[in-house]
Amino acid sequence: MNLKTLRDYGRVIFYAAEMALRSNLTDSFVLFGILVQPIIIALLAFWMLGDRGGEYIIFVVIGSGMTGLWTSCLFISGNSITQERWTGTLELMVSTPTPVSVIVIGKILSNVLQSLASMVLSYTLAIVIFGYVPTINQPVLFTISLLLTILSYACFGLLISPVFVLNPDVQRLQNGLEFPVYVLCGFMFPIALLPGWTTPLSYILSPYWAARALHATSSQWNGLGEVALSWAAMVALSLIYLMLSSLLFKRLLRRARLDATLNIQ
Amino acid sequence: MKAIEVRNLRRVFRATIGVVRRKIKEIVAVDDISFEVYDGELFGLLGPNGAGKTTTVKMLTTMLIPTSGEARVLGLDVVRSAEALRSRIGFVFGGERGLYWRLSGYDNLRYFASLYHVDPAVSRKRIPYLLDLVGLSDRGQEKVEGYSRGMKQRLHIARTLLHDPQVLFLDEPTIGLDPVGARELRQVVRNLQAEKKTILLTTHYMFEADALCQRIAVIDKGRIIALDTPEGLKTYVKDLAVIEFEVYGVPSNVLEQLRAQPYVHTVSVENRDQKQALLIHSPRGSQAVPDLLSMMNGIRIGNVIVREPTLEDAYVRLVGGEA
Ligand SMILES: Nc1ncnc2c1ncn2[C@@H]1O[C@H](COP(=O)(O)OP(=O)(O)OP(=O)(O)O)[C@@H](O)[C@H]1O
Ligand SMILES: [Mg+2]
Repeated sequence: MNLKTLRDYGRVIFYAAEMALRSNLTDSFVLFGILVQPIIIALLAFWMLGDRGGEYIIFVVIGSGMTGLWTSCLFISGNSITQERWTGTLELMVSTPTPVSVIVIGKILSNVLQSLASMVLSYTLAIVIFGYVPTINQPVLFTISLLLTILSYACFGLLISPVFVLNPDVQRLQNGLEFPVYVLCGFMFPIALLPGWTTPLSYILSPYWAARALHATSSQWNGLGEVALSWAAMVALSLIYLMLSSLLFKRLLRRARLDATLNIQ
Repeated sequence: MKAIEVRNLRRVFRATIGVVRRKIKEIVAVDDISFEVYDGELFGLLGPNGAGKTTTVKMLTTMLIPTSGEARVLGLDVVRSAEALRSRIGFVFGGERGLYWRLSGYDNLRYFASLYHVDPAVSRKRIPYLLDLVGLSDRGQEKVEGYSRGMKQRLHIARTLLHDPQVLFLDEPTIGLDPVGARELRQVVRNLQAEKKTILLTTHYMFEADALCQRIAVIDKGRIIALDTPEGLKTYVKDLAVIEFEVYGVPSNVLEQLRAQPYVHTVSVENRDQKQALLIHSPRGSQAVPDLLSMMNGIRIGNVIVREPTLEDAYVRLVGGEA
């Protein structure tokens, strides 16, 4: 891969992200999901948990934020492929020189960033209204963790999206994945509460490490070692996901061209 | 040089039928076809609904993998070299799908230009030029959802020219357009050919193929049943005359009886406003009229015309009177 290809891909990612943003802004259903819903959740969380102290609030904020990110990542990336099939653009997308995975990266990144931005906004609003200031132990490390979290989510979304080009039962797949990942990643409660055999499963999910890094740098500071481990795991897993995803895309797109599932009949 | 080479291409679809007892049914959409298109040629693929035209085009544009056989475009195998091929071909599937309706025509083009790795400096000039070429200059900034069907189809033509492909596949580009729109679009196609592009055009309008194409392959039920120049195809019917009866409904048993006559080659019925035209091809020409009329006793008949066959008639004869 040379520099020109990288630039071309970068441009595709940017335009795909911009398109995802623009189409979300004109879709009132999605708009509700990324703007109104987080505000309601944030206000409710502050109202119910406000008296339990800043540390607890930030734990809940991050936990529910991660859950929201995961849900939007899963649903929007899957639905966008299905939607492109319906509008007849999936087939077109596949037959351009750009790998589909590059386009999907742009879409997922855009959606993750949008969800994140709306959450930050919601909690800022809640802070202003209720006047509690949640504490973040390690603001700098937290910010780095957050950036890596975005990367992790984008790569994780990229790993599951190839399956959607095969046109399986998208909804069932999404519903089946939503809750298990949410539990296995320890967003809201520690995975120590789960049976021991599930621990390896958590370890291969990058959102688990993301949650761990974010919790550690905000409310559960245990020293730099744990954070560094989470970062390393996020980077390594993301790279593995990227490779697996491009392999999966290649194979499943071939399958879709054999089964004629890129378009509806 | 041959721009397109197709050898024994076949494509089978599996469809599940029945809701309760599911069965798998095999549909042979393209059944062992071979043909070649020369560099710079405008080649027509003509056939009735379900003949396998779109399936053929989808295989040649790397969207579907053939069940067997092989095809090369610009010397590149459509399966093994699909990636290399994609940046060198363009395609349009007639109809309104395949665009982002919430974006403007301009933004659609800009997005697809990026997918085809067109340099932004180039696309900034090329997009206005293409919008102008397809007559959308003054509507380019509007959202596609407000476009008419013809405008969407023309936007597709602009889209497929973004990366200046050498070979173009146009699948029924004039479908659903009004006569003026269709004529304008045909002019765009002619201009493209003047630019030395190789074009494979599918259509089920004989006159369109006649007006545009240098050679025509007639395809029916997945097979090529004739491949010739328009003039060559006309010789298929030169020994026949066409007898046209203006009718107001014909019972099917009468049609059967007409078809059974040894001097009748094809019988077809075309709808024309309130009435219908019953078209009979026969080498006996006007001499056959009395016999034919006697078989249509009790049917209301308007004008009767005996005329020379046209290319349309050649087509009707080839596809067995079902067009
Ligand atoms: N994905 C698919 N699954 C099952 N059958 C299919 C599929 N695509 C096409 N077919 C079938 O293959 C045959 C050929 O279809 P195709 O679309 O290639 O015809 P066509 O010549 O383009 O027709 P039209 O003039 O109506 O566009 C038809 O019987 C069609 O029903
Ligand atoms: Mg078709």
